[in-house]
Amino acid sequence: MAKVTNDKVRVVIVGGGTAGWMAGAAFTRLLSGQCSVRLIESDAIGVVGVGEATLPHIRAFNERLGIAEADFMARTAATFKLGIEFRDWGRVGDSYIHPFGTFGRGAGAIDFHHYWARLLREGHDLPPLDDVSYACKLARDARFDHPDQKRGGLPSTFGYAYQFDALLFAPYLRQLAEEAGAVRTEGMVVDVERDGESGLIRAVVLDSGERVEGDLFIDCSGFRSLLLGQTLEEPFEDWSRWLPTDRAVAMPCRTETSVTPYTSAIAMPAGWRWRIPLQHRTGNGYVYASDFISDADAARVLEEAVEGAPLAAPRQLRFKAGRRRRSWVGNCVALGLASGFLEPLESTSIYLVQQAITALIELFPTREMAASDRDEFNRIIDLEYDRIRDFLILHYHATTRDDSPFWNYVRTMPIPDSLAEKMELWRKRARVVKYREGVFLDASWIAVYLGQGIMPEGWDPRADTAATPDLLRAVGDLRAEIAADVGTRPGHRAFLERYCPMVAA
Amino acid sequence: MSVADRIGHVLVAGSGLTAWYAAAALKRRAPFLTVTLLATAPAADALADRIACTLPSLPGFQADLGIGQDDGVTRTGAGYRLGTRFIGWAEGRPDYVHAYDGYGHPIGSAAFHLHWVRATQDGAVAPYDAFSPAAQLARAGRFVPPTPDTPFAGHDYGLTLDLDRQLAMIRAFATHVGVIEMPGEIAQVAVDTRGFVTGVTLTDGRTVAADLYVDATGPAATLRGAVDDEWQDWHAWLPCDRILLAMDPAGEGAPVLTEVTAHAAGWRWSSGEQRGIAYSAANLSDAAAAAMLGATPDAAIAIRPGTRPRPWRGNCIAIGDAATQVEPLEWCNLHLALSAIDRLIAMLPDRHMAEVEAADYNRQTLAEVERVRDFLAAHYRTAHRPEPMWQAVADTAPPPGLAHTLAQFAERGRLPFYEEETFTRDSWAAILLGQGLIPRRVDPLVHFTPPEDTRRAMTRMTDAIAAALPHTPAHAQWRAAQMRRLAR
Repeated sequence: MAKVTNDKVRVVIVGGGTAGWMAGAAFTRLLSGQCSVRLIESDAIGVVGVGEATLPHIRAFNERLGIAEADFMARTAATFKLGIEFRDWGRVGDSYIHPFGTFGRGAGAIDFHHYWARLLREGHDLPPLDDVSYACKLARDARFDHPDQKRGGLPSTFGYAYQFDALLFAPYLRQLAEEAGAVRTEGMVVDVERDGESGLIRAVVLDSGERVEGDLFIDCSGFRSLLLGQTLEEPFEDWSRWLPTDRAVAMPCRTETSVTPYTSAIAMPAGWRWRIPLQHRTGNGYVYASDFISDADAARVLEEAVEGAPLAAPRQLRFKAGRRRRSWVGNCVALGLASGFLEPLESTSIYLVQQAITALIELFPTREMAASDRDEFNRIIDLEYDRIRDFLILHYHATTRDDSPFWNYVRTMPIPDSLAEKMELWRKRARVVKYREGVFLDASWIAVYLGQGIMPEGWDPRADTAATPDLLRAVGDLRAEIAADVGTRPGHRAFLERYCPMVAA
Repeated sequence: MSVADRIGHVLVAGSGLTAWYAAAALKRRAPFLTVTLLATAPAADALADRIACTLPSLPGFQADLGIGQDDGVTRTGAGYRLGTRFIGWAEGRPDYVHAYDGYGHPIGSAAFHLHWVRATQDGAVAPYDAFSPAAQLARAGRFVPPTPDTPFAGHDYGLTLDLDRQLAMIRAFATHVGVIEMPGEIAQVAVDTRGFVTGVTLTDGRTVAADLYVDATGPAATLRGAVDDEWQDWHAWLPCDRILLAMDPAGEGAPVLTEVTAHAAGWRWSSGEQRGIAYSAANLSDAAAAAMLGATPDAAIAIRPGTRPRPWRGNCIAIGDAATQVEPLEWCNLHLALSAIDRLIAMLPDRHMAEVEAADYNRQTLAEVERVRDFLAAHYRTAHRPEPMWQAVADTAPPPGLAHTLAQFAERGRLPFYEEETFTRDSWAAILLGQGLIPRRVDPLVHFTPPEDTRRAMTRMTDAIAAALPHTPAHAQWRAAQMRRLAR
C-alpha cells in the first residue's frame, strides 16, 4: 500500500477571469494544505465574462466557499434570478418562463403536467401556464423573497440564482483566493515545457522569462485553450451542425424598464438576444450565426434593440459550439471556455466550470497523476455536456418559425437520436426522460416543451380518473393561492435595495 | 388521449408472488383497468417467488398499495432482516456484515469510508461494520425499526417471508380490490407480425385476449418468450447456475441477520425455515451440493444468469424471472420484480404502445439490472478463494461498469455515480471493504482532519452504538410484542 505523500501538489492556473478565479478560490479554500496555487494572468488579455446569469447551483458553490450572499451580491451588483424568459421562440409573439421551480404544487403521485396536458387537449380555457407556477408568477410580477423551506407549501417550490457583473465577480473571488494563499503572477505564457517521455507539462515560461513549474496545470485561458488545445492538441468535437450560432456581440446599457428577477432570451432572425438586468445596468448581447447575418448588421440590430443608452461600444466574440474530446489530459485540466463552449442560452457556462471544479476536488490527484482519476473526471464532464447539449438544441428545433433562413435551418435540421427520442416520448405520452443526475430535470424540460408549443397527445392514464370540473376547480384554486401569496412578497428592486445595495466600485 | 385510446384489460400470467403483486398494484393504482390474473401452475424455478429473504423495498411497495405493517408483515409471520453476514468470501479476513444502513458519518468534508481507509493504514481499527448501527444491532440478534434520536435512526429493513402466508395475503388483497383470478394453463400464444400478442389459448380451449400482457410465469416466460428469445448472458461473471432449496420446519426462527457462507463452488445460506445452496454445476454435483446443504432439497433449480435486453416488446412485458435471472445473493429477485411493476405503472402505455415508451422502459430497466449484476459480480470478483470456480471468475475481465467502479474504488475509494443504482454507496463500500479491497491511497480531503480527531470521532460512534444497544429488544422479542399488540 502506498503511503501518502505529504508533498503539496503545485497547481498552476493559466488565465484569470471567472473560471480561473473560481478555481483559485475553491482550491485554496477547500484544499488548503493539499496544494499550492499559483495563478498567471495578464492585464493585457481581456476577460470574456459574458456569463453574467447563473443557475441555482452557484449557491452551493458560494456556500462551500463561505461566501455571504448579501455581501457577494452587493459587491457584484447582483440581482436575483428566478428563471429565464423566452420570447418569440416557438412562434413570434410567444413568451414563456423556464422557472427554477415546479409547476403546480410539486406534490402528488402524478405530476401536474399530466393533468395540464389533458385539460389542454380537452380544449378548456386555461390560465397562462405562468400562473400555476409560483416561481413564474413571482418572476412575472417582478417580486422576490427567499424560498420558505421552513413552512413548506407553495412558497417553497422554487430555487433561485443570481445575475451579476462578471467583471466584478472575478476580482471578488480573487480577493478570497489571495487571502487564502493563492499567488497571482502578472504575465503572459509564451512557451510551454513538456516532459519528453511522458508528455506531461513541466512548466510554463512567461514573457518576463520566468519559468513556473507545476504538477497540475489548470487551463483557464478561454477560447484560446492554450494548454489543452494548442499545446496538447486535444481534438475538438464540433457541435455546430446542431448549434449553429458562432458569434456574439455584447453591449451594456442603462436600465430603462424593469430590474426583472429573470433573464430574457429573445429570439432574433439569426439567433437570439439576451437581456440581463443588474443593479446598475442591463447586459445585452446578440448571439448569432455568421452564416445568416453579417457582423455589422448584428451590431446594428443590437444597438437598435436595447432599451436604454449604451454604456459601452458593442464588443464582439467568436466561438464554436462543442467541446474538447477530453477535458483532463495528462496533468492538464481545462476549465470553462478552454474545455468547450455551449452558448449562454440556459446560463450554463459558470455551472460547467463549477461542476468541473467540484469533480476535480473530489478527484484531486497527488503529484503522480492516476489514469483512473482522469477517466472518471472526463466521464462526469461528458455527461454534463451531452445533457445540456440536447436541452439547448430543443429550444431551436421546437419551433414553428419559418420567417428567416436561420429558423428554417434549425427547425428542419437533423437532431441527435437521444433528443429525438425524448421529444417523441413527450409528444406521445407527456413523459420526460428521467435522470437522477444532470443539470436540467423534469420541470425545465416541461417548461420548454409547453412553452414552445409541443403539446402532448397522451398522458398518464391515471390522470383521467379525476372529473374535469374538479380539476378545473383545482387549477383555479391553485392560481388564486399563488397570486395571493405572491402579492404579499416585496418587489424585486425594493428587496435588493434593502438586502444588498451595490457597493460603489 | 381519448378514452378509446386507453388500455382497458391487462392480463397477468403466473401465480407466484410476482404475479400477484403485479396484479394487485396495477388494479390498486390504476383502478380503471380490468386486471385478470391467469393463474398458471406455480413455477418451481421462479426465484422471485421462492426466496424467503427480501430487500427493504417490499414494505414500501406494500405501503403504496395501502397494505400496512400489521397486515403485510406481522400477520404474515414475516421476520425482519437488517442485513447479510458474509462468511468465507475473503480468506484470511473476518466475516463482514452488509447492513441496510449508513456506515459512520462524514467527518469534515470527506465520506466516512475514506477516513476508515486512513485509519487502517495508520494501524489497528475496528472492522468497517462496527460503525454501522444496524450491523451491530443485527450481530447482536436485536431489532428496532428506525427510531429518531437514537443511533438506530437511519436504517432500512428487509423481510424474511413465510412464503405461503405472504402469497395468501397478497392474493386475498388483490381479489379484494378487484383482480379477477382465472385458473388455466397456456397452450398457445398468438403473436402477429409486429411482435404483438393477439391472444392466448388455454389448454381447455378457452381463449383470452387483453390490451397488455404481463408475463410473470418465471423463467419459462410463456408469454414473452413467444415473441422472441433475446438474452444477455452473465454466466462468466456470475458462475452459480444451480440452486437447491430446502424447507426445514424444525429450523429456528428467521434470523435478523442472514448468513451467507462461501464454499468451494458457490455459497449457501440459511434463513430460518428456508435453507439454500447456490453452486456452479460444472464444479459441484447436485448430490454433493445436497449433502452440503444438510437437508432434503426440492428438485435442483437451473438458472441462466442474464437478462432479456428488452423485457417490454410490443404489448407484452416480462417481469421477475421471466425478465432477469440472477442468483439470490443479496436478495434482489423479488426486488427487481417490484421495481419493474412500479416502473410499468408509472409508464402505463395506451393502446398504441409506441415504441419509444418500451424503449425508455427498457433503457431504465436494463440500466438497473446491469448495476445489480455489477454489485453481485463484485462479490465474486473481489473474493479471495483458491478453488477453480473462484479463480476463473477472478481471471475474467468484469463488465465495463463494474470495471470502472472497481478501478475507482481501488485507487482512492471513489464510488462513481450510475443511473438506476439499487445499492447505495454505503452498500458498495461495505462489501468492497468487507472483502478486503482497500483503496491504494488516502483521499486528499481526509487530510483536513487530523488523524487523532478522526480517531476520536470514530470512538464516539462506536461508543454511541454500544451504549444504545442494550436498550433494544431481541428480534424474537420484538416480533412477539408485535403479535401481542395485534392480539389485543
